Amino acid sequence: METIVRIPTPLRTLTGGADEVTAAGGTVGEVIENLEKSHPGIRERLLDDKGVRRFVNIYVGEEDVRFLDGLKTALKAGDQISIVPAIAGG
Amino acid sequence: MRSLSSRSSARVLLVGVGGLGCPAALALQRAGVGLIGLCDDDVVERSNLHRQIVFGEADVGAPKVAVAAAALRRQGLGLTVREHACRLLPENALGLVSEYDIVLEGSDNFATKFLASDACRLAGVPIVHASAIRWIGTAFAVGAAGAPCYRCLFEDMPHESAPNCDEAGVMGPVAGVVAAAQVDLALAWLDGVPVGGNLVSYDGREDRLRCHRVEPRADCALCSGVRRIHGLDASAYVSTDCSS
Repeated sequence: METIVRIPTPLRTLTGGADEVTAAGGTVGEVIENLEKSHPGIRERLLDDKGVRRFVNIYVGEEDVRFLDGLKTALKAGDQISIVPAIAGG
Repeated sequence: MRSLSSRSSARVLLVGVGGLGCPAALALQRAGVGLIGLCDDDVVERSNLHRQIVFGEADVGAPKVAVAAAALRRQGLGLTVREHACRLLPENALGLVSEYDIVLEGSDNFATKFLASDACRLAGVPIVHASAIRWIGTAFAVGAAGAPCYRCLFEDMPHESAPNCDEAGVMGPVAGVVAAAQVDLALAWLDGVPVGGNLVSYDGREDRLRCHRVEPRADCALCSGVRRIHGLDASAYVSTDCSS
C-alpha cells in the first residue's frame, strides 16, 4: 500500500523539491525505510537510534504517532503522513 | 467569555518584534488589547522590511522596540505600550513574563523559544509560540496550566539538522499568516476558549492550514509529574542565533 507523505520545506532538498511523495509500507516505520531508498538521507533527518528525533513530530492524519504506536503505527488506505519539524524564525 | 471591551484590561507580552511580532502587535491592537509589551534587543535591518511591516526604510539601524512602540502609539486606539529593549534572558525572563496575562513568543532562535516556554510554565502564564521559515510556519498554544507544553512538542533544543533561517529566509506572507494564527489563539484564550494544545501549521506553497492536537508527554521535563526543570539555568539556553 502506498501512503502519501507530506514533506515540510526544510526537507525538500532531499525530495528534489517535492512537497509530497509516496512510499510503500504497512506501518510508519516501513514507509520511512522505503522513503530512505528513494530519498537517501531522509531517515537520518527523522529518526535517531531512539526513534523519532526529539525535535520532529510525525503525524498520521491529525494524530501524533507518539500517541499511537510510534513507528509501528499501522497505516490504512487513505492515511497521510505529515512531518512537523521544530523551526525557529520569524 | 470576555467581551471586546474587557480585552482592554489584557496585558500581552510579545517576545520578538520581527516578522511575527510586527503583524501580531497590529492585530492585537485592533482587537482591543489594552497593554502590549514589546521585548527585543535587535535593530531594524534592510533585510527585515519585506515582512516586518511596522518598519520602513528610514528605520534601518534603529532599535526595533522603539520604532514599533512609536508606530503603535501613533495608531492610538487606547493602547498602552511598554518597551523592553532587551533580550529575554534567564536572569530577566521570570520577572518579565510575570507582568503579563499571556505571552506571544515569535523569536528567531531556539534558546529564546525554550526559555520563554520554561519561564511561562514556572510563572503560570499562558504562551502562544510561533515560528516561520521559508514557506512553512507553526503556532502552538500552551494554557496557563502549562500542559501540554512546548517541550511536549519538541523535547529540547535541536543541535543538528535544524533549519537555519539565516540560510533559508522567511516568506513575508507566511509570517503574516502564522502571526494571524498566533493572535487568533491568543484572543481565543483571552476570551475563555480552551485552545491549549492546539498546533496550527501552515504551508504557504499550498495555502494549507492544518490543526493538530498535541498531547502531554508523560515524561516531559517541564510539565509532567516527573518534571526536571524547576528553575532557569542559563547553561540550558544556548543555541545558534537565527536572526535575519
